[in-house]
Amino acid sequence: MALLDVKDLRTHFKTDDGIVKAVDGVSFTVEKGQTLGIVGESGCGKSVTNLTIMGLNPKRTAIISGEAIFKGEDLLSMPSKRLRDIRGNDIAMIFQDPMTSLNPVHSIGKQLVEAIMLHRDVTKKQARARALELLKAVGIPRAERRIDDYPHQFSGGMRQRVMIAMALINDPDLLIADEPTTALDVTTQAQILALMKRLQQEFDSAIIMITHDLGVVAETADDVIVMYAAQVVERGSVHEIFNSPHHPYTWGLLGSLPRLDDDPEHRLVQIPGQPPSLLRPPQGCRFHPRCPYVMEICRTTQPELEEIPGEPGHLQRCHLDEDTKRREVEKLLSGTMAEAS
Amino acid sequence: MSERELSSNGSGSGELLVVEELEKHFPVTRGIIFQRQVASVKAVDGVSFTVREGETLGVVGESGCGKSTMARCIMRLLDPTGGKILFEGRDITRLSRAAMRPIRRQMMMIFQDPYASLNPRKRVGFIVAEALEVHRMGTDAEIKRRVQELLEVVGLNPEHYNRFPHEFSGGQRQRIGVARALAVNPKLIVCDEPVSALDVSVQAQILNLLKDLQKEFGLTYVFIAHDLNVVRHISDRVLVMYLGKIAEVAQRDTLYAEPKHPYTGALLSAVPIPDPELGRARRGVVLEGDVPSPINPPSGCRFHPRCPRFREGHCDIEDPPLYSFGDGHRAACHYPLERWPMTADEMRTAQSGPSAAEPVSR
Repeated sequence: MALLDVKDLRTHFKTDDGIVKAVDGVSFTVEKGQTLGIVGESGCGKSVTNLTIMGLNPKRTAIISGEAIFKGEDLLSMPSKRLRDIRGNDIAMIFQDPMTSLNPVHSIGKQLVEAIMLHRDVTKKQARARALELLKAVGIPRAERRIDDYPHQFSGGMRQRVMIAMALINDPDLLIADEPTTALDVTTQAQILALMKRLQQEFDSAIIMITHDLGVVAETADDVIVMYAAQVVERGSVHEIFNSPHHPYTWGLLGSLPRLDDDPEHRLVQIPGQPPSLLRPPQGCRFHPRCPYVMEICRTTQPELEEIPGEPGHLQRCHLDEDTKRREVEKLLSGTMAEAS
Repeated sequence: MSERELSSNGSGSGELLVVEELEKHFPVTRGIIFQRQVASVKAVDGVSFTVREGETLGVVGESGCGKSTMARCIMRLLDPTGGKILFEGRDITRLSRAAMRPIRRQMMMIFQDPYASLNPRKRVGFIVAEALEVHRMGTDAEIKRRVQELLEVVGLNPEHYNRFPHEFSGGQRQRIGVARALAVNPKLIVCDEPVSALDVSVQAQILNLLKDLQKEFGLTYVFIAHDLNVVRHISDRVLVMYLGKIAEVAQRDTLYAEPKHPYTGALLSAVPIPDPELGRARRGVVLEGDVPSPINPPSGCRFHPRCPRFREGHCDIEDPPLYSFGDGHRAACHYPLERWPMTADEMRTAQSGPSAAEPVSR
C-alpha cells in the first residue's frame, strides 16, 4: 500500500470575484522511501495541493473535497487534533524561504526544542541533546555554539539546513519540500540537495519535492507529476517524463529550458501567452489557448488523464494521437522542434 | 592593465565599454553623531574588462559577489571609489550629472524585479516615454507614435498604452522594462538578472526577445545572472566573479568546456542537468561552506577556504593574478584545472606546480 494516496483532490477558494479552482481533481501516490517531484509554473496549484494535504489552508474560504489517505487514515476528514499529531511528526514540511519560516525572535535551539517536546515525552535536556545531534547531522559547523544563535546570524543555506533539521526531528515518514532550494545559490543548492538525498537514505523517508526547476526534479525524483492550471497533465517515472514526454506542455517546459548540454545558438522553444486565470479556466483542454498542436476537439472537450498504451503508470491528458506525439518527441529531443507560434 | 590586448585578438570590432580596476568600497561606520569608519565592504575590488560593440558579456556569480554593484557603477548609479570606466573611449568615471546626461541616452538598464522597477502609479505609455521626454526626443505626437512602435517591437499590444503596470503579468512587465530601455536607442544595455524572477516558459520568451532585438538593433549587452544555463545561452563571452574579483573570463564555449578556475568548475558541476541519466551519473564537486563576508575577505586567493585545490603557504598568502590561457581566456588561480570534467577527488589530487601560463596582470 502506498504511503500517501491522494484521490481527486479539489481545493476551491471563495473570493470576491468568484470561485478560484486552485486544485481541480489531482490524484497521485507516494511510496515509502521514494521521491515524487511536482513541477509546474507559478499559480498551477502545486503548493496549494500540499498545503491542503497538511490542512494548512484557511478554513473560512477553502472548499475542499477528495481524499488523502496517509497510512490508512484520511488526512482531509480527520479531527484537527489528530492532524496536529501527524503534522510535524509523521509528515513534515520544508518551505521555500527559510528566513520567513523561522521565528526571528527565538534562538534556533529553542525552536528545535519546542518542536521535539511538542511530539515527544522527553525532558528539556534530552530534547536539546536531540536538537544538537540533528544540527550536526545536517552539517552545521560548530553546532554546540551555534545552537543558541538566532536565525539572522545564519546564512541562507545554513537556515535551510536548520529547517531541514527541524523537519527531520521526529523521523517523519513523509517530507514535503516546497521549493527548498529556490532562494539559494547554485553551490548551496547542490549542498542542500546532496544533504536531502543522504538523509532520505538514512531515515528512509518519502519526499514530495515541489519545484519549478526541471533540473532539480531530474536529479532527485523517482516519479514526476506535471501540473498545469490546477490539474495534472502528465504523470510518470522521471525517465518517462524526460525521455518520452507525452504532453505538449511538458514539451514546452523541456524545450524552453536553456541547458548546459545543448547548442547555445539554437532558439529556445517558447510557450506563447501565459497561464490562464483559475477563476475562468479555458473551455475544453486548459492548455489549448497556448498549444501549437490545438485541434477542434481541444476547444470543446476536456481530455481525461489516461494511461499511455504500452507504458503502464505513464499517464497524460491530451487528445493528440500517438504517432504525432512520437514524432514531436523525437524532434524535441534532437533539438529541432518547431517553435510554437 | 593589458585588457586592451584582450580585445585585440577578437573580431576587431570597437570597444564600447572599458572598465579598468573598478573598485567600489562601501564604508561601515560606528557611532551616531561622530561616525567613524571602522571597515569597508569591498563589494567590487579591482575588476577590469572590456565589452566590444555588438557582443554580449555574461557576468555570473553567487549572491554577494558584487555583480549588481558593478552594474550600477558602470551605469554611474553608484560612484565608484576607484578605477576607470571608459564608454566609447571617453572617461565617464568622474563626469558631472549634466555632463553624464547625453551619455545616459547611450546606456540603459533592465532590472531584475518587474514588479518593483515600474512605477505602479504611472501608465505604461508614460513609463516608456519618460526617457524620450527627458531627452526631448520629439514632439508629443512623435513620442506617442514611438512608444506604440516600441510596445509592438517587444510583443505587447500598442493599444495597452493607457494601462497600468498591475494589469500585466510578470513576463509582460519585463517586456515593458525592455521597451523602456530601448526607447532612446541606446548602444549598451545592462541587464541585471532580467529573467530570474520569471517562470521558465516566460523566461524563454524574454531571452528570445533580447536575442532578436540585439540582432535587429545591433545592441551590446552586459548580462548579469546567477543561472549558468541562461548566461551560456545568451553570451558571447562570460565573466565569473567571486567576492568582488574576477575569477575567470573567457569565450563562452571555452569557459563551459575547459574551465580553469576551480570555482568555475564547482559552479558548473552544481548546475542541475534536466536529464535524469546524465545528471545522476555525474559526480560533481560540492563546495563546502558559504561565500565569506566581503568586509573581511580571506587573505591571498579569496576562494581558498572553499577550494578543493587549496595549497597552504601559497594560496592563502599570494593573491593570484589573472593568468592567461590564450584567446582572451584568463583565470585567477595558482593551480588551474588541467582538464574538465573532474571529480572532487581528482581536483584535490591532480595538483601540478604553479601554472605554466604567464601572468598577465599586476
